[in-house]
Amino acid sequence: MPASLIPALDPAALPGPPWLFHVLWVVTFLIHLVFVNMVMGGSVLAALVGGNRPGAREIQGFFVEVNGWAISFAITFGIAPLLFMQVLFGRFFYTATILVAWWWLGMLGILTLGYYLNYIAKARLKAGKSVRAILIIEAVCFLAIAVIQVAINLLHLQPGRWESVAQQTFAALLDPTFAPRYLHFVLAAVAMAGAVLAFVGTRRAATTDDREACLVMARFGLRAAFVATALELADGFWLLLALPREVLREFMRGGAATMIPLTAGILLGVFLLVVLSRIADPLAQTKDVRRVAELLVATVVFMVLTRHQLRDIYLAPWRGAEQVTVATQWGPLALFLGVFVLCVGLTVYAIVRAVKDKPGPGEAAA
Amino acid sequence: MDYPIWDLSMGGGVLIALVAVTHVWVSHFAVGGGLAIAIVETLGVRRKDPALRHLARRSSLMLILISTVFGAISGVGIWVTIGLVQPAATSSLIHNFVWGWAAEWGFFILEVATALLYYATWDKVRPRTHLLLIWLYFFAAYMSLVIIQGIISFMLTPGNWVGTRSFWDAIFNPTYFPGLFMRTGICLLLAGAYMMFAALREPDGASRAGLVRLMAAFQIAGGLVAYGGYRWWESALPESVRAVFLGSSPLVPALGVTRQQVLWSLAAFIALAVFAWLLPRAQRWPVALAGILAAFAFFGAEERVREGARKPFVIRDFMFSNGILVSEIKDLNQRGILSKATWAARESDGTPVSMGRAVYRAQCQACHTVDGYLSMRKLVAAPDADTLGLILEVLRSEGDEYTSGKYAERGHIATQKLDYPAMPPLVGTAQEIEALKAYLLSLQAPGKETSNAR
Repeated sequence: MPASLIPALDPAALPGPPWLFHVLWVVTFLIHLVFVNMVMGGSVLAALVGGNRPGAREIQGFFVEVNGWAISFAITFGIAPLLFMQVLFGRFFYTATILVAWWWLGMLGILTLGYYLNYIAKARLKAGKSVRAILIIEAVCFLAIAVIQVAINLLHLQPGRWESVAQQTFAALLDPTFAPRYLHFVLAAVAMAGAVLAFVGTRRAATTDDREACLVMARFGLRAAFVATALELADGFWLLLALPREVLREFMRGGAATMIPLTAGILLGVFLLVVLSRIADPLAQTKDVRRVAELLVATVVFMVLTRHQLRDIYLAPWRGAEQVTVATQWGPLALFLGVFVLCVGLTVYAIVRAVKDKPGPGEAAA
Repeated sequence: MDYPIWDLSMGGGVLIALVAVTHVWVSHFAVGGGLAIAIVETLGVRRKDPALRHLARRSSLMLILISTVFGAISGVGIWVTIGLVQPAATSSLIHNFVWGWAAEWGFFILEVATALLYYATWDKVRPRTHLLLIWLYFFAAYMSLVIIQGIISFMLTPGNWVGTRSFWDAIFNPTYFPGLFMRTGICLLLAGAYMMFAALREPDGASRAGLVRLMAAFQIAGGLVAYGGYRWWESALPESVRAVFLGSSPLVPALGVTRQQVLWSLAAFIALAVFAWLLPRAQRWPVALAGILAAFAFFGAEERVREGARKPFVIRDFMFSNGILVSEIKDLNQRGILSKATWAARESDGTPVSMGRAVYRAQCQACHTVDGYLSMRKLVAAPDADTLGLILEVLRSEGDEYTSGKYAERGHIATQKLDYPAMPPLVGTAQEIEALKAYLLSLQAPGKETSNAR
């Protein structure tokens, strides 16, 4: 592909130092991913759990309840990384999305469908009706969104593939790393949702009489987390080996900067399997169950770092001649930081007050 | 322009309008609904009026389903759509306003969290806490409007930013405050229009009449504020923008008609609201439906006027609707448009017609389609080769008018003095213009280039 097909750099100066955008991008993407993992992994598990098995409705109910707010937060926390990424790599990203324009636009329709299906499932669960078919469609929606996201992500990294995708849109899926990357994403989501389900199951057991249902929740979650993590480790190596040779070479040459996050992520995954295999009675081993959830979040942190480093390596040959100018907008930057601190503070205050505030005896509730 | 071109038979501008108008119908309710619900519940608690509290409760589900679900997704939808249709403009806006958008995102976090908490804590917390949640929600929602209004109005009236490139000049541009005032009114009137349906579900007749009156009051107040804001907004526009849709012979007659729709639909809305206020017991859902449709018609038309009045720019005085910058006209006249529009250029096999088609795709397809919206085939059906050549030559020479400073005052260009005030100038080498002419003439031959998309 001629390098001339890469659009020119935006003539405006960057309104802040590039490192700041990278930091904000990674941090906000990490938070976004935690919610996305809960939504997608939870939808898959809710669809997979058999409708007749004991505890199935509790599991379905849990994920449907969680999705009610997790989808909103996944969208909200998706805005920030999308924003910061466009400042740095807009010309690559816009090109990739235009090449698969209908997919990118259609993703919004699929997201809307998935979200409203979740509300329908919630209402039907409340009414004691079956929700299996709805949950399956909902899970398919979120899995389809992941296909689109992974395809666009890979496409914006590889301008060399643009010409072929311009000729045939479905070529966007013909990348050797597509399948392992997609699986890497889905399996991590299932593992995280399973771990959180198990954690909540053990917490609920302490305050409810129905310990059997809690045990079912915890066991189902832990089994899902174990299977998904085991597959994830194998898939991770597949993904690594499927990387373009020059990308893999540069990644390996990155020294401690690239090797430490990758090694830490792999070791945490192995450690996670060990911890999971040692849990025989989740309700008695609540600390181990909590550790599983913590380890999973930690693993995601390192994998997000690795993902970000790989992006830089992929794009390095195409950005060699980039002459970026910076003219930091100090006032607007201070505005953002001030608003962010204020809003996060008020959000935490609102959550704490909503959770703790209870009407006293004889006092009316809202 | 140097991006791939998305072939869309309806035209990219129409798609943006569809997504954007749908979003604003919802997002402004998300703001005004927050205020209305906060006031209704506050009154309900103070007066110990269960009907008011039930109205707040019924409306809160609507707020969640419309605001946090559809509003959030369609908001991202605008971003997705403009990135597909106007990537260069989107990039330019992102570079200028990233911190403003990031600040708005901070308010989104608070808005979404408090909306979900408010809905989830009915019957669970004390009224004071519940009220705090909805007032916090309204604060966050309104502040997001305060920020986004700066970016929306900037595209039409960038004001001093053209010279200073200052973020604050861009935000507090000449139509910032009139637009914010108008949108505040729209938030109120939409809150009244949506919540009228929830009010009509009140089973007790006397209580229902009271609720209907309250919602009608929101509608009337909002309608009057919106009207005042709209007229203020019109008066704050530069002459070149006003000429596009105002006066006895507006430069874009269709926008002049749309402007009439703005005023008449708002008048109809206010009339229906006054009817509901005077005769609350006679209010029925078909009338409420007519009211909300009138509100949608008013707001949709107003947005159409505001977007259309930017012609021929996407960011006035800075970037044309086809992504070409005012500052690069001279350079592209020398180097050729296809030196920049590489995605379009790659489709040319070197023949005049195919080169002309590439020039058309680079410069004209942002607004025109061959056989669909603003059909180019229809536009070129009448003129002969000489006339067409003359038109193209005039369009090209208008580039000089933009760069010579002849019609510019402090960076603002008096486009109404041009021969083609709603069209970007044609740029490119003489060979490219000749090729474009050959391509356009080829459209006159039946059976050629039948694709609707292109």
